[in-house]
Amino acid sequence: MDRRDILAERPVEKGRGFMPGVSVNPSRVLFTAGLTGRDPDGSLVSGGMASQARRTFERLQAILAQAGANFGDAVKQLVYVTDLEAYNASGRPERAKFFGGARPASTGLVVRRLADPAMLIEAELVVDLGGSRQGAPLLEKYNAEKHPGDFHQGVIVNGGRLLYLAGQVANNPDGSVAGVGDWRRQAEKVYENIGHLLRAAGATPASVVKETTWVLSIDSWRQHGPPVRRAFYSGDFPASTLVEIPGLARREFLVEIDVIAAVA
Amino acid sequence: MPFSTIATPEAKPVMNYKMGTRMEGGRLLYVSGQVAWDASGAIVGKGDIRAQARQTFENLRQVLRVAGGDLKDLMKITTYITKIEDVPAVAEARTEVFQGELPASTLIVVKSLFHPDFLIEVEGVAAV
Repeated sequence: MDRRDILAERPVEKGRGFMPGVSVNPSRVLFTAGLTGRDPDGSLVSGGMASQARRTFERLQAILAQAGANFGDAVKQLVYVTDLEAYNASGRPERAKFFGGARPASTGLVVRRLADPAMLIEAELVVDLGGSRQGAPLLEKYNAEKHPGDFHQGVIVNGGRLLYLAGQVANNPDGSVAGVGDWRRQAEKVYENIGHLLRAAGATPASVVKETTWVLSIDSWRQHGPPVRRAFYSGDFPASTLVEIPGLARREFLVEIDVIAAVA
Repeated sequence: MPFSTIATPEAKPVMNYKMGTRMEGGRLLYVSGQVAWDASGAIVGKGDIRAQARQTFENLRQVLRVAGGDLKDLMKITTYITKIEDVPAVAEARTEVFQGELPASTLIVVKSLFHPDFLIEVEGVAAV
């Protein structure tokens, strides 16, 4: 492991539960899907924020364990909540039980809705695995538990070069918006654009490691997006997160998709 | 520079940023979501998106500098704001701060950030 914590001598950055920055030698990096407080049968645990948070981090722990890692190896965490007061009161203490003194780089967001309207928290991690990548395939996509979703819970990148795409929206090359008010057309255009960029970078849909889908309406996305997405990935899904937010950069945009990929 | 820029005429950005970057070497740096507070933790520019944007990018630069880099080393940034009306002011502040093309970029309007006074938060990934 070759991790460096990036901490300036600023009072605001001391004593908090996260690091302003963390750098690693990217020899082996794990990206997790956004995990939530679901039980093994797929239903959301009862008991509100505390139980959902506990379950979320338990599930992340299982994904980490399968890769031989723990919370101390997390480089970055992203926590999405729908109720900030509940998170501060009873989610944060649950999180702390798992992380202990470990301090990843961190972002916290209050969003409008997660996959299930009753979901209060979702969390995802980027993790430094270190170690040798010799003989391993470039990408190892895996699940720590059975689930019916079109995604993998963890994707390990063994060496290779990471590729970060700008958030893709349904814009045409001339700057106009494709499919104004049309979810299906916007989904198609977004994946078309992702496909063009992956190709330009020497990558394919199978090279995608992590995907974050930001939509104005999860219900509308579910009606129109999944067939387009399934055709794009042809079954070879990345780790993913789906979040409902109130807006994107332009009012016409219904969906924006963030992609991280890796090439040899 | 330890990363290259991905561009294609078939998919162009809607503002001044790169469509993609590919890491070619160096160390992978993840920077926490930065907000508009000063070194003591006091909020800068309450209610003022321009002032908050400037302070946020300044804080981002500081983390990069501690890591031995600067804004030019960013491969990707994600900007979270709380009001779509703030997009023009944020775009202006970003162009001012970066003085050239931005990294690969995502802009999302969230319900709120982790303190009601914060109007903008920016996280980044860099190759240093």
